[in-house]
Formats: sequence, C-alpha cells, structure tokens
Amino acid sequence: MGDKLKGKVAIVTGSGGGIGRGEAIAIAAEGAKVVVNDVSPAAPGATERPADKVVAEIKAKGGEAVANYDSVATPEGGENIIKTALNAFGKLDILVNNAGILRDKMVFNMTNEEWDAVIKVHLYGHFYTSRAACVLFRQQRSGRIINTSSISGLGNRGQSNYAAAKEGIVGFTRTLALEMGKYGVTVNAIRPNAGTQMTMSDDMKQAAERSGNTSLVKYYESLKPEDIAPLVIWLASDAAANVNGRNFFIQTGRIALFSEPVQEKVILKQGAFTVDEVFAAMPTTLAQGLKNPAPKEAEAPKPQ
Amino acid sequence: MGDRLKDKVAVITGAGRGVGRGIALLLASEGAKVVVNDLGAAVTGAGASATPADEVVAEIKKMGGQAVANYDSVSTVEGGEKIIKTAIDNFNRIDILVNNAGILRDRMIFNMAPEEWDAVMKVHLYGVFNCTKPASVVMRQQRWGRIISMTSTSGVIGNSGQSNYGAAKMGIVGFTFVCARDLGKYGVTVNAIAPAAATRMTLSDEVMAARAIRAARGLEGAGPASKEPPKDAPAAARGPADPEDVAPMVAYLATEQAANINGRVFYAAGGQYSLFSNPEMVRNIFKQGRWTLDELMGIMPRTLAAGLVNPAPPAPPEPPKPA
Repeated sequence: MGDKLKGKVAIVTGSGGGIGRGEAIAIAAEGAKVVVNDVSPAAPGATERPADKVVAEIKAKGGEAVANYDSVATPEGGENIIKTALNAFGKLDILVNNAGILRDKMVFNMTNEEWDAVIKVHLYGHFYTSRAACVLFRQQRSGRIINTSSISGLGNRGQSNYAAAKEGIVGFTRTLALEMGKYGVTVNAIRPNAGTQMTMSDDMKQAAERSGNTSLVKYYESLKPEDIAPLVIWLASDAAANVNGRNFFIQTGRIALFSEPVQEKVILKQGAFTVDEVFAAMPTTLAQGLKNPAPKEAEAPKPQ
Repeated sequence: MGDRLKDKVAVITGAGRGVGRGIALLLASEGAKVVVNDLGAAVTGAGASATPADEVVAEIKKMGGQAVANYDSVSTVEGGEKIIKTAIDNFNRIDILVNNAGILRDRMIFNMAPEEWDAVMKVHLYGVFNCTKPASVVMRQQRWGRIISMTSTSGVIGNSGQSNYGAAKMGIVGFTFVCARDLGKYGVTVNAIAPAAATRMTLSDEVMAARAIRAARGLEGAGPASKEPPKDAPAAARGPADPEDVAPMVAYLATEQAANINGRVFYAAGGQYSLFSNPEMVRNIFKQGRWTLDELMGIMPRTLAAGLVNPAPPAPPEPPKPA
C-alpha cells in the first residue's frame, strides 16, 4: 500500500472490469477511498455484480471502497454517483470518467440506436458526472478530473460514433480545463490502449482465432488493463498541477503527450479571398502534399 | 457566375443566414443546384419560420441559379432524412453536403442544465450524423461525394463557457476523421472547417454580455469582450471577418481538385485560411512492462510534463462584495 492519495476520495466510472477496475484498485492501493461505479449486472448464476467484486478485492487488501450501480448516461445517474461519494466518504477529490461501450459499424450502415447509445454513454456520461463534480470542486477549490478518450478518435474505420464521442471528450476536456483551472482543478484526458472485454471480447477473440489471426489476440492479451492506472494516479496527484487540458496516450510501458492542434500552414491577405485566389493558392499552400488516407478504389468491372 | 460546380447538387444546413447563407450563395453562383435548409429559429433554437430559407432561395434564383428551400430540423433522424430527400426529389442526387446548422447555449459547467447540454449536442453533433448518414448511402452508391462540416476553435482549442459547444464541435472532428476513412475508397472526402465570422450566432447581445462577464472575471479563453477583433490577431485578419468569407474554402473542398484532402481540419476567417495540425504524440517515454507510480513521479516532471503551463492557474478567491 502506498500513500500518494492518502485522505482523498475518488470515483471511477465503469470500474467493474477492464481499465476502470485496474484504476479503482490502484487508486485504493495509494490510500484513496473509492466509489466503484458499474452498471453491469451479475454474470448468469452469480449473485455479486462486477462492482461488488472490485469492492471486495479492494477491501481484502485493506482499502476502503463502496459500490454504485447507476448509469452515467442519465442526469440522475451522474448525480447519484457523485452523491454516493458524499454519503459514504463525505467529499470528492478525484473523478475518473471511464465508462464506455462499443457499437462499431460503417457510417452508411449505422443505425440511429447505435449512434445514440455510444454518444450517450461516453459523451453525455462524461458531462453528467463532471457537472455534478464541478459544483463541489469549485466550492472546495480543488479537484482532479481524468477523462477517457481513445486513439480511435483520430480515425479508425467503422467507429464514427465512438470517434465523435471520444474527440468530443477531448473538446470537453479543453473547455473544462479553462473553466475550472482557476479553482485549483485540473482536467485532462487519456487515450488508453489495452486488451479488455471492450477491445477484445470473447466473441472478437474467437473470430480472430477462427481467421488465424492469433497474433492479434496475443498482442491484446499482452496489453494489461492494469497498466493504465499509474498515469491516472500521477495526473490525480499534486505533482501534476501544471498539467491541465492535455491528452496522453498510454499502453503498458509507452506513454506519450499529444500535441494540441495549431494552424500549421497559414495563408493571409488583407480583406477576403476571392474564389479565384483560393483555387489558385490552395494546391501550392494548404493542400500541398496532403495524402488521402483512404484513396478512391478503382471499381472492378462487373461481369457480363 | 462561375462553373466550377456545374451540375453538382449541394445541401447546406442552416443556410438561411450567416456563414451557411454565404456558402449557399457561392455554391449556387458556381453552378451547383442548392437545397437551402433552415429551420428559421432564433440563435437559442427556439421558434421556426420559413422566411430565412425562402429569402436565400429567392436571392439565388434572382442571380440565375437553381435552389429549393427546406425547413426541417437537423436534430432528428427524420429531419436529416427529409433534408437529403429534398435534394433527391428535386435534383435527383446529392454531391455535396455542408453541415453548418448550429446554436449556442453558453454556460459554465457548474451552472449548465442538462437541457442546455442536450440542445447543443442534438443540433451540432446529432445534426451532422443525421444528415451525413443518409447522404453517405447515396454518395457511396454514386462513387463520389463531398462532406464538409463546420467545427470551431471553441472545440479545437477550447473556450470557457462552451463545454457543450466545444464537446459537440470536437465530436464533429472525430466523426470527420472516421467518415474520411469509411468513405474515402468510394470517392468521397470528408473534411471540417473552423470558421470565425461576425454573425447573429457569434455576436448576439446575449453572447457578448456573457463574454464580457467572463473576461471581467479573468477567465482564460473568454474571447474578446467587444466586437473588435483581438489585438494579437494577424494584421491581415484584423478587418471585419464577414460570414461570406468562409465560402470560397468550402467551394474549393467541394471540387475534384481537392481529392487529396480527406479527414483534415481547416480554419477560415476573413483573409486568413489555415490548415490545422492533427494531434500527434510529440513526447514519448518507454519501458518494458508497466510503469510504477514512483518511476512516473521521477520521470514525468522532466519529460512529458516538462514546461507545460496550466492555461488557467489557480486564482485566490474573489474578495467579498462590499455590503
């Protein structure tokens, strides 16, 4: 047991399994009292829900934890999760927004329900908990929010819903950092990669093995969900007070800081551009050297 | 009248006023047949009126162009489908979709009502999906298309008081990144533009008053508290940024010439056009296996976190107001 978060109270959403479970256990091991939130029901035949199991694990190691089963995807759920921390431990210092789901589909086949489910859990889910937490953080003039984005947000085929949610979380993080910084609160995001039930479910595993892609399964199995927590704890500590509004990649032993977007090529003129000027300038300036990441495929001739 | 978009069919959402109107007029003047979509609502999203879309259609017809009005809301699945269907019913195809419709509900996070969050998400982020989904089905079949969505520096960079708008606008960027890859092989490109212009949405009295309060309280990123451009703006950008100034960039991205541009974010305001860098891992640390917390405590301050500046450092509590 460490003491880097001694006396702190933390919430980790979606911490009944995977990355969230690793975060909850590691945060508790550093001395924080933890709300283990997970909406998932008990496995068939079991009586304990995933959140209960993680609470039991934390208590077995001498830590303090309490379970919460609310959904982050409703305003009431978000408020109840924050209330659970107040009722059980009297305050809140650290909010780790981690809960997430996947509904992959190419955009032209995506149903409204698949779009909505992902946006609600990830993006609305971050808002509902953060909003309630920020009311407290502003009053107590301290707090840490660590949001969960994804490298898929930067462009992974078949994940337009997930990417919209995950980059939305990055935009949300930037604004919250500006709004809450003066109150002693920092807000950052991680883009983690690990083998979990979400990224490599049993179904996905079986499909990969059927198609002979066992190396992909092995690769994901080597990326432990527990490997994400140290960065989250560091961001939650006082040592990271200068880090606010940024996003990081984390995958086992690799951690990276992402650049913030800058205007990397600029064309300027006094007054407005004419259409002719834009068409003349673009190919040799802003558009020069850009490569289409998915160039048009030549169509195979149809059989007669 | 030009002919760079001759025979193309374009849909522009929220084209009754502001940036959208400028885009509709220019695309039509370059020969495109245009669906002018506008709900005719107030900046807050309240109310509806056919007038703004009809006025833009009349303007286009007066200069010899072809256009038809549509008054559906982008914020519902049915609305999005009807908007795209209007293009198919009137002009038999859709080549260009410009996702532009937007509203504002600025509020600090700790005061934001779920309704204010939801309204902005529904119009901006759901609105882009609701129109792009049906358009992408058609564009995939015809093996050509252009989708251009409006984002904002409020998401790409951040702006206090706009956590709903910033989240929606960066969500549009993520959606753009993936749609570029889902659709590129079918000859469709998907890009985003962060425009800045003096419009009814960005410079309403309510918006300016809220911005003045935030600026007076020293909140970072509050933006200029007056209609004057910021003093550190590049000289060329200091003139008035008119909503019409964004349109030439849209016209360029909509042509065959821009086939190499896919999944990128641009900035357009007045006489300043820019390409935004996409996020990259700029500082890295590696080790075999999991980092321990003690290792991170030692290494982070002199590697990934070295020199990072908190954009809104902690401030002392405000002094109590005089009684």
